[in-house]
Amino acid sequence: MIARIARKEFVDAWRDGRFRVGAVLMALLLVTASLLAWKQTERAATERAAAAALERTNWLEQGEKNSHSAGHYGVNVFKPVSPLGLFDRGIEPFVGTTLFLEAHRQNQASFVPAQDATSMRRFGELTASTGLQLLAPLLVILLAFGCIAGERERGTLRQVLSLGVSPRALVLGKTLGLGAALASLLVPIGVAGALLFTRLDTDHVDGLGGRAAGLALAYGLFLGTVLALSVTVSALASSARNALALLLTLWAGACIVAPRLVTDTVHDALPTPTLAEFELEMNQDLQSGLDGHDPRSKRLEEFAQKTLKEHGVANVMELPFNFQGHVMLESERMAGEVFDHHFGTLWDRIEEQDRAVTLAGVVSPLLALRSASMALAGTDFAHHRHFSTAAEQHRREFVRVLNEDLKRNAKPGDHGYVAGRALWESLPEFRLAAFPVERAVERAGLGLALLAGWFLAACAALFFAAGRLRVSVA
Amino acid sequence: MKLFARELRLLLRDRAAWALVLLFAGVLAYALWNGADLARRQRDTARAIEQSTAAFDKQVREVLGVQAIDPRQLARQPLTASFTPAPLPLLASGQADLAPMHESVSLFRLEQPSDARVEIENPSRLLAGRFDLAFVLVWLFPLFLLALAYDLIAGDRESGTLRMVLARGVAPWKWIAVRAIARGAPVLALALAATLLSGWSADAAVGARLAFACAVVLAYGLFWLAVAALVNGFAKSAASAASAAGAAWVGIVLVIPTWLNVLVESLHPMPSRAELVASARQAAGDAERRGSELLSSFYKDHPEWMPPGMQADFMQQLLAQQDEVGRAIDPVRERFAAELRDQQSMVETWRFLSPAIATHEALTDLAGTGYWRTEAFRAQVAAFKQRVEDFYAPRIHGNKPITKDDLAALPRFTFAEEPDAAWQGRVLASIAGKLGLVMLVLLIALRRISARVLAVSSA
Repeated sequence: MIARIARKEFVDAWRDGRFRVGAVLMALLLVTASLLAWKQTERAATERAAAAALERTNWLEQGEKNSHSAGHYGVNVFKPVSPLGLFDRGIEPFVGTTLFLEAHRQNQASFVPAQDATSMRRFGELTASTGLQLLAPLLVILLAFGCIAGERERGTLRQVLSLGVSPRALVLGKTLGLGAALASLLVPIGVAGALLFTRLDTDHVDGLGGRAAGLALAYGLFLGTVLALSVTVSALASSARNALALLLTLWAGACIVAPRLVTDTVHDALPTPTLAEFELEMNQDLQSGLDGHDPRSKRLEEFAQKTLKEHGVANVMELPFNFQGHVMLESERMAGEVFDHHFGTLWDRIEEQDRAVTLAGVVSPLLALRSASMALAGTDFAHHRHFSTAAEQHRREFVRVLNEDLKRNAKPGDHGYVAGRALWESLPEFRLAAFPVERAVERAGLGLALLAGWFLAACAALFFAAGRLRVSVA
Repeated sequence: MKLFARELRLLLRDRAAWALVLLFAGVLAYALWNGADLARRQRDTARAIEQSTAAFDKQVREVLGVQAIDPRQLARQPLTASFTPAPLPLLASGQADLAPMHESVSLFRLEQPSDARVEIENPSRLLAGRFDLAFVLVWLFPLFLLALAYDLIAGDRESGTLRMVLARGVAPWKWIAVRAIARGAPVLALALAATLLSGWSADAAVGARLAFACAVVLAYGLFWLAVAALVNGFAKSAASAASAAGAAWVGIVLVIPTWLNVLVESLHPMPSRAELVASARQAAGDAERRGSELLSSFYKDHPEWMPPGMQADFMQQLLAQQDEVGRAIDPVRERFAAELRDQQSMVETWRFLSPAIATHEALTDLAGTGYWRTEAFRAQVAAFKQRVEDFYAPRIHGNKPITKDDLAALPRFTFAEEPDAAWQGRVLASIAGKLGLVMLVLLIALRRISARVLAVSSA
């Protein structure tokens, strides 16, 4: 019986002109958005690879110079493009793409793509993910709002139930039929999209298949929730018109209002410092240390005394190595502690904010979906932090090697020392290790759990509503 | 008038309508309160910059009162070009959370990519966008209008009361118009009041901007009421009127703008920042290697700057190198500016595809947080960099110290606002375009809403 009801509902859905128009538009939007995003992703990847190659040449051909000066000359590293970003661009347009690595300083990634854009950017971007997050629920609502309320209004509900069909079978069959209609539209597009991924350069993505499966699960749970809720409302509402009004209000609240409202509220409760405050505090700590006891000069003086004592000499000129290089190594170590503390605190705070916004997924499943989707697509803050941290590690190692060279190879007190291409070549290019898929799944875990919770709750609501199905028009 | 009063009375009796109007008032109040935070932050930053600039200026003045300064020394001090806070930040935060509020300009770093530091902000917040007044006016205001006015005659048609009304000899278009305006009036009035309130804490005289903003909001509201009328010309039931109105909203506010955004960025892709950075460094490397050779050719181009005795020092060499780098990367930089200009002019051309775009553009323009004012700042900073070079370079090359006679000529940055006529012209075009759209929609609606058509189709 359930299968027969489902089949009828499936056929009806595809016969409905509104759904057909909606489905065609949806398919068109998803396909054009994905193709345009694909082109953009490929271009960005080529550009960044070319720039990285050019930057490597610049580094190798910088000529002979003091190895510490080479540290100041520095090197730019570019953030690799996440191929799954063509599905969900996440925060990518709003984080820097280029990071300058130099001696003494940890920089933030600069050149935010959104800065090079018109204010149209603020309307958001049409990607496959925004289509599925904002528009697909509307299609579901359009499909489902009248499925029971409409029958009740027309009087056919009474007829069907008088035939002895159990209300639960009817509701379940209808839900399955509508779900199948939706799946018959979205699954082929999803499969085509997955095929598109396989054509991309996916060297620095770990577990592409797992990520894609996770995305399918997240969106499936989300749209399943919307469908179950829509049918529930249709079963309980007094008229199709009221069901539609309620569903559209819920949609606007959850998808349009909630993201901004929740984000702004969370940021008021857990504020981030301004750039000026952040730099002021960091510079203070660079000068006087994290404990704030001794100024930098005093600590370096103590370090010099300690070094002299260790080697049993009275003057730095008598040390078996270049003292300048030795001090540079120590001051980098000291600064590194300060950077770790300040950047660590800032980034922890940002992740805390993101977690709080995800938790608000209890109120709007869209927030849970967004966070899970970005984490799996590799375009959330955790992935960006992974890049920033790896680049900083690279910077420290690179500056350390240069300072070590100065310490070992420059004669004490020799200011004319220069190193050359051999040393430049010994420093490897920056390669970003892939973000492990397990960690991505872990990041997406909270969102996925909330989505699963929503789905179960919506199914329970549906079950309950089916039990209370009323025949008469109120 | 009688019709209008009666319609308003009906609306006042509707508890759902009251709830909607109250909710809208609450949303507007929250948006104004929420937007104040960004405005305050900007004002504080601007004040801090102003103070430090003034302190530096005073210091220079005092030293110059006593002795001359080597231009090499003074030129090392970065100057701050500060962006005056927007005139109406509460109206629309626009690009304000992205565009830097100031830029450091320093002679020996003129060719460095402009201030690479970015204000600290959680990127997901930038992605979500702010809950500011422009968000409420562009996104939510039409939803509230449609919720109150989507059922102008469709419901009556469904229940059969339409024929009774028509039988009384009321012209249907008049009836619909009065009904739409009466039902939309409370929400329209609230939107206009909130727009006016956004000028409450503004520093400068913003009366004209507020008046224009009200006109923009009013035209946008009228557009959505016209859409409601159009929908009612076609829909046979209240439910289908509601879904058609909803579909119009989704298309105009969600789909067209995001799609246009993707299209604009695909047709006019920005050149690669990565490439700009790498090629600037390549040019710098080349220049450094060519060192003295470069300097002699440089003085061939700038004989007026040739130092007495031709003994160039490190700083002079640095300047010559910088000149060379500038020459190498200027074309790339120009491509950035050109693409952004093309993107913006494409937006200008196509903004009437969706009045939501036109309204958002106009509101950010009026708030001073949109493309135009930000672009003006960029252009003025570029000109300022040129002034800094023109001031210091000849003095450094000619080994001429800076004395107190130079005080008045020392480069200082003040942001010059656009002339009022410029933004007024753009906003007027936007309002006129939107009113044109209103007329167009109404014309189509009118053809459907004649007594004859309605009588036949409701039968």
